[in-house]
Amino acid sequence: MKSLISCSAVMAMLLAFSSAVMAGDTLVSQGKMMGRSYHQQLYTKHQCATCHGVDKPVSRAADDSCLKCHSVDKLAQQTARQGDEQWQNPHNNLHYGKDVPCTECHGEHAVKQPICKDCHTFKFSKFQE
Amino acid sequence: MNKIDFLTRRNFIKGLGATGVAFAAPGMANAIVADDSIHWDEQVEMAIIGSGFAGLAAGIEATKHGCKAVTIYEKMAVYGGNSAINGGLFAAPNTPLQKEKGIQDSVDTMVADQLKSGRGVADEKLLRHIASHASDALQMTIDAGAEYYPYLQQLGGHSVPRTYQTKVSCGAGITQPLVRECRKLGVKLQNRSKFEGFILGKDAAVIGIRIRYPYYFEDENSGKLLHIRASKGVLMATGGFAQNVNLRMAQDPTLTAEVGCTNAKGATGEGMLEMFRLGAIPVHLAYIQSGPWASPDEGGFGYVSNYAIFNFPHSIAVNCLTGKRFMNEIADRKTRADAELACRDSAGKPLPPIMITSYAHAKEHPTCENVLKYGVGWKFDDLQSIAKRFNIPLQPLQQQVDEYNAYVKDGEDKQFGKSMAKAKGMYIQAPYTVVRLWPKVHYCQGGVQVNANAEVLDSNTGKAIKGLYAAGEVCGGIHGVSRLGSCAIPECMVMGMTAARSIMGA
Repeated sequence: MKSLISCSAVMAMLLAFSSAVMAGDTLVSQGKMMGRSYHQQLYTKHQCATCHGVDKPVSRAADDSCLKCHSVDKLAQQTARQGDEQWQNPHNNLHYGKDVPCTECHGEHAVKQPICKDCHTFKFSKFQE
Repeated sequence: MNKIDFLTRRNFIKGLGATGVAFAAPGMANAIVADDSIHWDEQVEMAIIGSGFAGLAAGIEATKHGCKAVTIYEKMAVYGGNSAINGGLFAAPNTPLQKEKGIQDSVDTMVADQLKSGRGVADEKLLRHIASHASDALQMTIDAGAEYYPYLQQLGGHSVPRTYQTKVSCGAGITQPLVRECRKLGVKLQNRSKFEGFILGKDAAVIGIRIRYPYYFEDENSGKLLHIRASKGVLMATGGFAQNVNLRMAQDPTLTAEVGCTNAKGATGEGMLEMFRLGAIPVHLAYIQSGPWASPDEGGFGYVSNYAIFNFPHSIAVNCLTGKRFMNEIADRKTRADAELACRDSAGKPLPPIMITSYAHAKEHPTCENVLKYGVGWKFDDLQSIAKRFNIPLQPLQQQVDEYNAYVKDGEDKQFGKSMAKAKGMYIQAPYTVVRLWPKVHYCQGGVQVNANAEVLDSNTGKAIKGLYAAGEVCGGIHGVSRLGSCAIPECMVMGMTAARSIMGA
């Protein structure tokens, strides 16, 4: 936490947690910034370019960068729901199908909430902030 | 006075060879005039701003008329705009389902219904144009794969059943198939693309647009500005401005940030404002529809809206501070929205009222299950529990329920004059279901004036602004004071298709 370089990331976290500042289980310190525990190799090897395309990023990663490793079809299978909840599958949902860019719900360097929560009270028990 | 004179009068700065464009002074028009040295980042025949019903229908129709390069630019991360979260209700006359059910309807009948709701200031010519082509537009959605319930509904203000609804009860049941169809036909869709202004030719025609890409919503410095050349035309399909609190309050000061909104976050109206700066005619901006059937416990239109619309006739709405009714539960939308907004705690803060319904009656509607399942409504065994949960004085509440049940018995509401015809024999009895109510801004009847070619008209000349077209909620004056339910989708679809045909000279 002490070496966070991104002001906006700090703000986002403070806003999200106000008094109790704590991250989701997989969001951990990666040295200079917060990052997902399962991406640790990218941080230790300074491979920012894997997602951002350049070694010293100044802008957000492109929408399709996660898809180099993660398959939206497989994710949709893993989060499939049954019956009247069929279209509450976040990776293949009623409003946008499989088109929602990953980073709309998942933050690599900061906590985020599923965009479904903008309107709905659906439970996503496996979601990692 | 032509448009260039108009712009000059507003300190419009002309021609800077070095950059190829001239920027207006800060706070002035964002349109720029291209000169010979302008660098175009992309070239298309038709540029569409917004990926709701109107934009998607226009993209598909344009390719049918030979358009080889059409791109839909969407500001948000996801496609479909407000259409993707709408109710999926589509009114049209002379449809296959009407024929199958033996329902007599006509363009004239549908237009007459809409004129009545428009209270004398709707645009009859445009309503007629839309009603005349509504069944073609419906067919376009079916051809693309949209699926509808096998029955028609008769919504408020419609004289016959003429409303289809998608099987998912949502506009996404149309936008998703249309997005797929666009991709199939080669219509390019580009998200995170924010419209930032027009680019004008030397004759003041719209010849292109500036797009900020990749744009991350509410980060106004994200992305870079691109110059897009649109050789045949630009279609503004940018939707309403219900999410723009300052702009809606400028029209109606009661629509403060305390009032909710059913719309997608991107419905902020800057595309419309840019057309006004260029010279478009503002029409009916103050006619903004709020829904008194919405809930503060969920976002958007939610589950409660349909639930409340169904249950209002046989329910009571109660002010939590007093334990008493405060309105006729089936008065017009504006009356009820104002009455709900007046429900305040002793410090003047919003105190959303509750609607109490007999569970036996509430469960007759399919959304009751969802309302309870997703915790936006609750079931109670007695009035004591309701009073305790919502901090309502019990005695007045008990008295109110008894009083109201006497009105049900007598068929006359002595408190608010509500028509008790639909509440016959429907007493408020345990067990109860309760939802909280708070109005949400729902639809903007106002916008830019267009003609039946979807051309945007100039406030100086009254003639079409060359190269500029608009379709959907961004347009104003079509519905007049109040739009009938299920009439937005045909308007968006038909006017989007119309714009495409105009642009392609078909």
